[in-house]
Amino acid sequence: MKNGKALFARAAFVLVLLAIGGVMMVIGRGHTVYLDNKKLEYNGQTYGTPYKVEVYVNGEKVAKLYDRERGMATCIGQTFRMTLDITQEKGGDKTTQSYTIQLPYNMDGVIINLPAYLAGLGEDAYLSEFIPSPEEAVPEETETPGGEEGFEMPSMEESTEMPSST
Amino acid sequence: MRENLAERNTLSGRVRAAANAFGLPRLIIAGFLLLMFIVAPFVGNDFWTQISNVINRFSWNAILVLAMVPMIHSGCGLNFGLPLGIISGLLGATLSIECGFTGTLSFFAAILIATPISVVLGAGYGWLLNKIKGGEMMIATYVGFSSVSFMCMMWLLLPYHSPTMVWGFAGKGLRTTISLEGFYDKALAGFWQIKIGTLEIPTGTLLFFALMAFLMWAFLHTKTGTAMTAVGSNPTFAKAAGVNVDRMRLLSVILSTWLGALGILVYEQGFGFIQLYNAPFYMALPAVSAILIGGASVNKASIANVLIGTFLFQGMVTMTPTVMNSVIHMDMSEVIRVVVSQGMILYALTRKTEGGGR
Amino acid sequence: MEEKKSFGAAALEFASNNIVPILFVVICAVCIPLSGFSVSYLLNEIVTRMGRNIFLILCLLIPIMAGMGLNFAMTLGAMAGEIALIFVADWQIWGIPGVVLAMILQIPFSILLGLLCGSILNRAKGREMITSYIISFFLNGLYQLVVLFMMGPIIPIKHFSIKLPRGYGIRNTVSLLNMRQCLDNVFAVTIGGVKIPVLTFLIIAVLCLFIVWFRKTKLGQDMRAVGQDMEVARDAGIHVERTRLISIVISTVMAGFGMIIYLQNMGNIATYSSHSQIGMFCIAALLVGGASVDRASIGNVFLGVILFHTMFIVAPRAGAAITGDSMIGEYFRVFCSYGVITIALVMYETKKRRNKSKTAQELARAAAEETAKEAAK
Repeated sequence: MKNGKALFARAAFVLVLLAIGGVMMVIGRGHTVYLDNKKLEYNGQTYGTPYKVEVYVNGEKVAKLYDRERGMATCIGQTFRMTLDITQEKGGDKTTQSYTIQLPYNMDGVIINLPAYLAGLGEDAYLSEFIPSPEEAVPEETETPGGEEGFEMPSMEESTEMPSST
Repeated sequence: MRENLAERNTLSGRVRAAANAFGLPRLIIAGFLLLMFIVAPFVGNDFWTQISNVINRFSWNAILVLAMVPMIHSGCGLNFGLPLGIISGLLGATLSIECGFTGTLSFFAAILIATPISVVLGAGYGWLLNKIKGGEMMIATYVGFSSVSFMCMMWLLLPYHSPTMVWGFAGKGLRTTISLEGFYDKALAGFWQIKIGTLEIPTGTLLFFALMAFLMWAFLHTKTGTAMTAVGSNPTFAKAAGVNVDRMRLLSVILSTWLGALGILVYEQGFGFIQLYNAPFYMALPAVSAILIGGASVNKASIANVLIGTFLFQGMVTMTPTVMNSVIHMDMSEVIRVVVSQGMILYALTRKTEGGGR
Repeated sequence: MEEKKSFGAAALEFASNNIVPILFVVICAVCIPLSGFSVSYLLNEIVTRMGRNIFLILCLLIPIMAGMGLNFAMTLGAMAGEIALIFVADWQIWGIPGVVLAMILQIPFSILLGLLCGSILNRAKGREMITSYIISFFLNGLYQLVVLFMMGPIIPIKHFSIKLPRGYGIRNTVSLLNMRQCLDNVFAVTIGGVKIPVLTFLIIAVLCLFIVWFRKTKLGQDMRAVGQDMEVARDAGIHVERTRLISIVISTVMAGFGMIIYLQNMGNIATYSSHSQIGMFCIAALLVGGASVDRASIGNVFLGVILFHTMFIVAPRAGAAITGDSMIGEYFRVFCSYGVITIALVMYETKKRRNKSKTAQELARAAAEETAKEAAK
């Protein structure tokens, strides 16, 4: 029966690993959040922009948005928390408010329209997917690897990354 | 029905026997190459151009592969330390140009200069290998690597001055590739070259290889040569018979190193360039896999193995990129080459050595 | 055998046994002042590199224990780690969860590769090192086949930043910007301008404990027995092949973890070259620490990393200071890595031969005494 027990323990171990993996896939999913401070027409109504919005994520200032500007923040997991310092009129008072937005799992880039969100509209109004144009994606590189004789040259691996970290 | 079955049995039996005699991996590669040759004309590659390419590549590399033979014969295993010989050849080549030789003369001058260098380096290398019998292959690999990286420094530091070879702006330090135009570019290949339509045969190079192969064959049949083979196949017996084992091994290593030097010179005259710095690093591996594809094992090799192996390996290397590209528009040749050649070395290493060696 | 040795003889023996570390101490001592780096910069670099490399080097210890020499095929684990990281990058899992997921994901790959490698090595007893060295090249070919041709059409990769524009294959570099140094930054402590990646060192400490513990288990004892003498171990009822196989699998899996730690520190994968030199550098570092082909300890690993990487950092600048050409230093450190491996291999082989001939002489003497006794009767 000893064998059976060992097998069971192993199966349990694999299952635990799989479970951890599954959890990691959910909580580790990264999103790039684009915050737009842009006028929006929705259902015939126009939502105007505040004069200035300062965005804080995790206590760090990630953007200061005037009208028609876009800020960017990253988020790991599906819950995006931010704190907004909103100045409605030039020279007016700041109002500080924290918000929590649920992000859809399968979107890499998420655009959030702040005026629509602040006005309390539905998700389909303020949230849309950011689709990068392929040209501007990453610098072109078509070169495939391989040395002259097929056995790649010994590159000085460590040399390329000299004092990159501070 | 029964007859049919019986016939098939004997046929398959016969095929299997033939396959065993010829070696299965070799059969597969030969079949693959044959397929390439058949397919090539249909996908728009000129058959004769392909043939000339293969023959050319064969002529460049054959002597490098031949350099494997002496060390395998004396039981020193596969010569992964070939870069050492290559370095002697490179020294010969650069010194010959530095001394002002030009044209075909520079080729022979290079051989003359490379010979003493390769003998000295080979002697040191052989002495080392005699001290570490049993671990030759690994140490040979690293002797090769160390010498190449050492020479990388030397190419920069040695006082070369010939303006065709040094960096133009600094006036010192050799370039990574040196063109041989005006020196010994096609020194052998141009000799009695045959041109029929698109077919080109570098007669001179082939003749030179034939001469070397013949000399090697003749050497292996002299008294010294047979003694060397005896050392390789059964060192205890050879010792009992009064053969000086260490001397034989030393001789074989020197011979291998010298052939390596010669081989790189022949390669350069065909290729048209001297490649320095990192280029020799992995030159041993194609030569090793070529002779193994030819049917050699870790402790047995013949001239026929060299011929067949070089032809199959170089055929595969030259044919796959062009044919692959025209068939599926994907250049997988690189991957195929690495997998086949390394697979071949692995296959040889995992086989039990005959005579229960070590 | 003499019981007492004079101090001079003992010192000489110590020197000849530790020639490689001593040589490196001398090289470093000469190069450090020449390079002109500040102490804090140097310390920072060394600590970073320790965190990055030690895990990878530790994975070499277990095959050495099992008598299989330096495992050049640890690159297989590195490849498994890279493949796992490519998937994780494609799925856009960031930060520590990404690292953990990659670590879990690489286990099946590296077990598979380890089994393959181990069974090949079992067929090449007595020349494991050269065989494992060739295996690393062979698998590199297969890796390219998978990553360059199968990823895309056969293995789903959807992310445009990873895939080559032609539609199949992975780009030359895969960015891990979103998990860059995420392990190192947890609990990181900065002392006098030197950043210490505490979590990474904790992981390394756990691994060291594991190795110490493993040596005492039944399996560990078996491995050492197999490493001492395969035939004796077999007679004692140990499954020699199985034990060797397990040692390679463990090494490969650990190399996979190590590679992920290494790459999260670097912040990007050089898809086709990251793994190819890793084996060589790790082995060189281990040997610099005074290990040999059949004997290596955790202490060797730490000493080796410090000495080897100090040389690695200072050599280019020192070379430039001496010769006025920074390339000389670059070549010099490559030469050192190869030279160290060569020296260590030569020393190991000569020692092995000397021991063999010593035992042979003893046997011969015993036999001669026997015959003399016989004759006396």
